Amino acid sequence: MATKTSLIRNFSIIAHIDHGKSTLADQFLLQTGTITRRNFQDQLLDSMDLERERGITIRMHPVTIYYEHKGVRYELNLIDTPGHVDFSYEVSRSLAACEGVILLVDAFQGVQAQTVANAYLAMEHDLKIVPALNKVDLQMTRIDAILAEMETSLGIDPLEVLRVSGKTGIGIEEALQAIVERVPPPSGKPDAPLRALVYNSHFDVYRGVVVYVRVKEGCIKKGMKIKLMSKGSEHEVLEIGQFRPGMVPCEELSAGQVGYVMAQIRSLGDVHVGDTVTETNRPAAEALAGYKEPKPMVYSGLYPVNNHEFEDLREALGKLKLNDSSFTYMPENSEGLGFGFRCGFLGMLHREIIQQRVERESGLELIVTAPNVTYEVLSRNGEIISIDNPQKVPDAGQIEEFREPIVKASFIVPKENIGDIMKLCTERRGIYIRTEYLSPTRAIIVYELPLAEVIYDLYDKLKSLTHGYGTMDYDVLGFRSADLVRLDILVHKNRVDALSIIVHRAFADQRGRKLVKKLRGEIDRHMFEIAIQAAIGSRIIARETISAMKKDVTAKCYGGDITRKRKLWSKQAAGKKRMKMVGQVDIPQEAFLAVLESDQ
Amino acid sequence: MSIHTQQRPPWLEPRAAYIHVPFCAHHCGYCDFAVAVGKDDRMDAYLDALKSELQSLGTPRPVDTLFFGGGTPTYLPIRILERLLQLVRTWLPLNAGHEFAVEANPSRLDRAKVQLLADFGVNRLSLGAQSFQPGLLRILERDHAPDDVARVVEFVQPIIPNYSIDLIFGVPTQTLDQWQDDMRQAIALAPMHFATYGLTYEKGTRLWKQREKGDVRALDEETEYYFYTAAMDTLAANGFEHYEISNFARFGFQCRHNHTYWANHAHYGFGVGAARYVDGVRELNTRDFHAYIQRLQAGESPTFQSERLEPRDRAFETIAVQLRRAIGIERQQYFEQTGFALDSLVGGTIHDLCGHNLLADDGQNVHLTRSGKCVADAVMERLLRAN
Repeated sequence: MATKTSLIRNFSIIAHIDHGKSTLADQFLLQTGTITRRNFQDQLLDSMDLERERGITIRMHPVTIYYEHKGVRYELNLIDTPGHVDFSYEVSRSLAACEGVILLVDAFQGVQAQTVANAYLAMEHDLKIVPALNKVDLQMTRIDAILAEMETSLGIDPLEVLRVSGKTGIGIEEALQAIVERVPPPSGKPDAPLRALVYNSHFDVYRGVVVYVRVKEGCIKKGMKIKLMSKGSEHEVLEIGQFRPGMVPCEELSAGQVGYVMAQIRSLGDVHVGDTVTETNRPAAEALAGYKEPKPMVYSGLYPVNNHEFEDLREALGKLKLNDSSFTYMPENSEGLGFGFRCGFLGMLHREIIQQRVERESGLELIVTAPNVTYEVLSRNGEIISIDNPQKVPDAGQIEEFREPIVKASFIVPKENIGDIMKLCTERRGIYIRTEYLSPTRAIIVYELPLAEVIYDLYDKLKSLTHGYGTMDYDVLGFRSADLVRLDILVHKNRVDALSIIVHRAFADQRGRKLVKKLRGEIDRHMFEIAIQAAIGSRIIARETISAMKKDVTAKCYGGDITRKRKLWSKQAAGKKRMKMVGQVDIPQEAFLAVLESDQ
Repeated sequence: MSIHTQQRPPWLEPRAAYIHVPFCAHHCGYCDFAVAVGKDDRMDAYLDALKSELQSLGTPRPVDTLFFGGGTPTYLPIRILERLLQLVRTWLPLNAGHEFAVEANPSRLDRAKVQLLADFGVNRLSLGAQSFQPGLLRILERDHAPDDVARVVEFVQPIIPNYSIDLIFGVPTQTLDQWQDDMRQAIALAPMHFATYGLTYEKGTRLWKQREKGDVRALDEETEYYFYTAAMDTLAANGFEHYEISNFARFGFQCRHNHTYWANHAHYGFGVGAARYVDGVRELNTRDFHAYIQRLQAGESPTFQSERLEPRDRAFETIAVQLRRAIGIERQQYFEQTGFALDSLVGGTIHDLCGHNLLADDGQNVHLTRSGKCVADAVMERLLRAN
């Protein structure tokens, strides 16, 4: 049954990672009886295996909650958001389906970089912010200091801040009341022509594509003929329903409501997130604003260890792409690694998740090359070439300008670490912008930094410098010219294209020396001596040698040993599984990632 | 048509037979062959079982070579040894120009046994000297003294002049000087043949466990390399041809039986733990002494594992075993035996390995070079990877 628009509240919870977003969501479900304690699984909303393992939320999971307030039954739709910086675009998508957010802040950790970033996002979307301090049950809290931080950094009135505990259930009732009282109801008219925003979708093996919608205007009913406005494709609605939290069918969804639609859509490729659903017989004049597709930030080559599994890898990536439109893949060919794909990811975590999912779901063994960001080259003839792979860098003579992506990075750190962070950023070619004190003990430091210097390990460095208390967030500003070069690696005189990296000229020698040293440790001795060299163009800047093995022979061999030997050899061959033979050298998977760790 | 009965090629039809005699006075710590210690009361029962296994041949099969290995074949008392010889000669009669080789332990060999062996046609004796250093013999848990070898050679030489001396190198604590001394002493005993084995730590042996626990330390690769090349140099300088990775012989005294294995030709195998390769099928008998006897008593097969290789797998296996020989792989012969042109399987890899001076190729034969022999396992693994 359709709920009156005035009785609907659509909201998200936004927070810095680990501030207890999922636990709070679970409490909402428990206290409203949406789920019983008996079927309660920890962090119910994180349903993907990998999410559960890592304790992070990647995908959005909506859930409809019924809550009675002063004798009136309200329908609250909670639209979960991911917590990791790699997935901030997904936060944006969730927010487009809401009228308000709970801004959750850890009562001990206080305002963190993503708290600020997410709060600004909510403000951009004109959402009502309901601030709340979480974990108030803890012994160690800094409530007064944090209220001051919230006021300083986000202009939040301390009197409006709720105090909750997702763990013990303190303040949950008050939070539900605040949602009803403070978050405005949706504004759409139920009798207008249908306009529903597709904000996500997933593929169910048994039921086909499940489209997640937020009805903005009008009403969608079972049996209705609908049209996806950007695609123009038409479908008949077979089932609609709500997530409570499992899929529960209903007769109709009207303006303001959130739910799912199934309409015999065969492939996720046919549904475009951000599209508008309308009624075929009574179409809306204009589609909703939709979303900007996120652009990949990090690229890596993914290669099957066994060359003949290229098509299997294509299929596996295709499947993943269906559920994750933010990741891209294009076939590429490496002299050393054969045929594979250049894949684009939102960040390092995203990259790791995709790799693990491919390996887990398809059983393929992969070689993953070191990640790189996208560069731009302005060529002498005025052409701008996008470089998502170091192999695409043209000869030095053809480069007018080499540009790299720059981000504005904000760090929130304890006062005593300000110096460390500034030193770190300077080493990473950062340009200082400003420092602001959130409180007498904590400050926001803002730098402009090359994305390449941020993306791999800056977060880990920050965490270790600040003993875990520092946080960061960043926004891409654009491309800026820099003195960059391609550093090549030669193994046994063969250039291994998959090991090439783009570095700043000033750091090239140092980087090259570390890299060849690291590679020497990763590559096993062979029957012959192997030289590992780093080069810029034709100039060799570093060299290491792996000496030849001297003795590897089993002396005796009788009749009975032949079978045994053959098994031994096939075992050895299996041990070389994660290796690629380039020229005549077996290069293990670890070597392709050596570039990542060459700083240590 | 030939007037001879058409004989099938040697890679399908065996002309060699191996007989395993598991009995030993003592189980040495490094040994992982099927060995029976303290079961001397079961010798006749074992021979009964062996007889049943031989009877499964149906008719006697003439062979060119016979090999008794162990265990310690010469540990058998005269009466039982004679029974064994009679039994084997009945089912596996020897063709003219045969080779009949027996492994012997210097500790318990006497003239009467050697004479008995010779009377039954044994014309090659392999003496397990292993070392002439008392300390190393103790580590290897051998039960003979260094002098035993010379004592035995004295009465063996007139009866069976073709004898080989087995030596082991790479024994924990062994020095290069000790190894040179072992070879010097062995050469002085004027054998026709040497088998030099690099000590291997076989999983499950006592020696392996000692190494795992840290009670003994394996020699490093560099030292083993010097031992192996020292063997090549010293033995070659004394007129022994390095005809297989671990075997050296005077001209005309290569072990023909072992050549069967290295050619990847067919062979019979009888006894506990024995391997055979007949009609393209590789089989291993059970290594369990009691099970071997029981199964044959019950009229069952002692086969524990049987495997027929696909032609391509067989061709790759042939590459690996034939490369152990100094003559290596002869292309035409290889094609006849396997049905594959060598270069169609591993031509590129051969070319690469020749470039590193690990293989030598004269267009007909491909063989390991000196440095190739030192890393033969890696070379073979590389070649087999093309499969």
